[in-house]
Amino acid sequence: MKTIAHYIVLLIVLFCTLNSQAQYDPDKVCRIENGQLIFSINLKWSEKEKKEVSKLFDLDSTLIAQVYSGKSVIVISGVTWNVKKVKPNLVELYKPVQSKADINLKINDVYLVIDQWMNFTGKTNESSVVFGVNNFALSYVFTYGNDNAMFYLPAYKTAGKVYIAGSFNGWSTTQTPMKAVKDGWMIDLNLKPGKYSYKYIVDGKWTTDPNNKLRERDAAGGYNSVVYCCNHRFELKGYKDAGKVVVTGNFFTWNPLGIAMNKTSDGWSLPMYLRDGTYAYKFIVDNVWMPDPANKNTRKDADGNTNSFIEIGEPYLFKLKDFTTADKAILTGSFNRWSQDELVMEKTEKGWQLPYVLAPGNYEYKFIVDGLWITDFENPFSVGSDATKNSFIALKANHLFTLDKFPEAKSVIVTGSFNGWSTQGYRMIQQGGKWIFPIYLQPGKYTYKFIVDGTWMLDPFNQLYEQNEYGTNNSVLWIDPF
Amino acid sequence: MQSDWIKNRLFLLTFLATATVFLASFSTISKESAYSKSSYIPIPGSLIFYQTNTYTPEFNINADSVVIPLKRAGRLFLIEAKVEDETGNLVFDTGANGLVLNSTYFRNHVKSGGTTSTGVTGSVGTVEQISISKILIADLTYKNLRADIANLGHIENRRGIKILGLIGFSMFRNLEIIIDPKNNELKLFRIDRIGKKLNNRLADFKADHIQSIEGNTNILFLKGKINGKILNFCFDTGAETNAICSDCNRSIMNTLTITRRSGLSGAGSANSEVLFGRMNDFTIGNKQIPNMETIITNLDALSEAYGTRIDGMLGYNFLEQGIVCVNFVKKQFGIRFTKREEK
Repeated sequence: MKTIAHYIVLLIVLFCTLNSQAQYDPDKVCRIENGQLIFSINLKWSEKEKKEVSKLFDLDSTLIAQVYSGKSVIVISGVTWNVKKVKPNLVELYKPVQSKADINLKINDVYLVIDQWMNFTGKTNESSVVFGVNNFALSYVFTYGNDNAMFYLPAYKTAGKVYIAGSFNGWSTTQTPMKAVKDGWMIDLNLKPGKYSYKYIVDGKWTTDPNNKLRERDAAGGYNSVVYCCNHRFELKGYKDAGKVVVTGNFFTWNPLGIAMNKTSDGWSLPMYLRDGTYAYKFIVDNVWMPDPANKNTRKDADGNTNSFIEIGEPYLFKLKDFTTADKAILTGSFNRWSQDELVMEKTEKGWQLPYVLAPGNYEYKFIVDGLWITDFENPFSVGSDATKNSFIALKANHLFTLDKFPEAKSVIVTGSFNGWSTQGYRMIQQGGKWIFPIYLQPGKYTYKFIVDGTWMLDPFNQLYEQNEYGTNNSVLWIDPF
Repeated sequence: MQSDWIKNRLFLLTFLATATVFLASFSTISKESAYSKSSYIPIPGSLIFYQTNTYTPEFNINADSVVIPLKRAGRLFLIEAKVEDETGNLVFDTGANGLVLNSTYFRNHVKSGGTTSTGVTGSVGTVEQISISKILIADLTYKNLRADIANLGHIENRRGIKILGLIGFSMFRNLEIIIDPKNNELKLFRIDRIGKKLNNRLADFKADHIQSIEGNTNILFLKGKINGKILNFCFDTGAETNAICSDCNRSIMNTLTITRRSGLSGAGSANSEVLFGRMNDFTIGNKQIPNMETIITNLDALSEAYGTRIDGMLGYNFLEQGIVCVNFVKKQFGIRFTKREEK
């Protein structure tokens, strides 16, 4: 008797499990049968499940709502859907599968959607990496100094050709051959401080650097070697008896684990890449936090702790003439999210100034003088107009837009994929009879146009252009990684 | 005819790429539902009228074989090349019948006829043929070629990489071709008139499955089976995802799992939908490949373009199953499947 009871309980449990599984399985919602696209919809789905189905299958929520309300024919956006009851709580929503004749959309839409999706998927950008440290198994396979990076591959002596390909040459498989040297291959590259990923190509075969322990997954599921061209060396003299010395700072979000320093003959040292900017840091010697004794540049943080400071990169001197009677002048811009109190300028005899280190890039800024927002009178470059006008600066600009035409024009703007095609655009200025605008652009492809007194036009001096989603053309510009 | 074919081809590339991006975007599902729309210009055109171009390269080095490193941009395979004076990438696209070059860089080259501008929607622009005197690919030199030009800007913009054009089998027909996606290599071997490697010390490709190649076009069609039914697939390294026709036999449709749909309309235009899912029952030779991602769509346009009934396309998801060897002289396609531990 007891056994039978057990079986009954087991059956009930089994039935309940099966029943609940049958209720929601997204893989079983949609099918094609005899030219009909059919969705099986369980009327007992929770709101969350309904929402997910609506999202996965791009079914309008009002369509789902109407299915639940018991309608048998539903017309949404010109498409007629039918609903058929197949079980007490199960209905089928169906319509014919689209025939060839119906798939007829403009390519504009495709481009727009693809663009949206590309922004959504995002691309990794090595130049936005804040810091990094190398990890080579052999110290002599990579050296860096004075913008010269030496890569040495002590292997593949019998290979016919070896190339290096990486983010520094746009992953070109043909542009950068290595030189055959004793016991292997070598190359000197002119590289700015930064992070680079790379691989060797030995007789056509991709290989990671066997002596570089630093690797990152690439998009294709393999690995790339990663190297940092370092521009700063943290050094701590003495403390020879310490077991462990690490450095940490705002570049590492003050992670207490820090980055381990290497023991040297007279103390501790660590070469590091740091992106241009201003950094606070401390050493941790056997768990004891301390500022850098060799660095006099210290500041107290909000909690009263003293941190060491370093500036990487050359500061740009922001200057404001006159206003000598003002009490306070603030520098504000896109570089500090338009903070109204962070960057207090120093008063000089002729006005105000502030040296400030910024990474290469394009920035908009203004001065706030005793609460009054003003543009930089000395800087002819600006973005926007009237009330929305900001001063513009391209630090380490690597491209100059030039239009040697229309000397009589009143307004010439350059706009493109680099600024989201803003019609406010970047205002070009006249210099030596030409319209110019300097800009800093990351390596890659850009499309752009000029707007001359309101009229959009291609760059008449650039042969490269492509058709856009509106059936007109955009000028094409490539910025090389070198 | 060629222009029609290119338009269809471009449509498909855009379509498949869109579909792939869509799939990728859904892997993090919290975002707003994105949707796909494709351009389609239904003009009858057929490859059977398309003269098969074959180009034979000169080997710059005294070698019987060459390894070309393949670059990746998402699911596209790229080959670095120098076309006239332009250096950039060619998409390795075996769904392309001939050489297609990007109008952005080659529109000013000498026209060699074949011009057709339909202007139905103007969406892919004018398609013209040009003459190209030289292309360098690794250690191979090609001279005096004809190429179709088309706007490939959308691939560049999507991938952020310079695309000079598309190349398929027409460039490698007289060689034995080994496509090794795992190691990102394209290996080419010189062969004799009967398709044997010139260097007879080189071992033959060991295939798990061999299929004979039918027809004489540069497009490779493969027979695969779903639920016991034999289907005609186009082998397409440029397809970023597999595809299967939406009007296939019911018994085939029953084996598919549909996991995603995108079906929104642009202003004033009819709804256009793309379905995504998995082929659960695909077999080639004796090898069953479960769970291959696929889009499910109407392939009539492609069938028209290729002049033969196409039931599906085997693209990236198929290619990553192993190493492929193609020999057009022997008329043989072979595949060696990657063992699980190798993957």
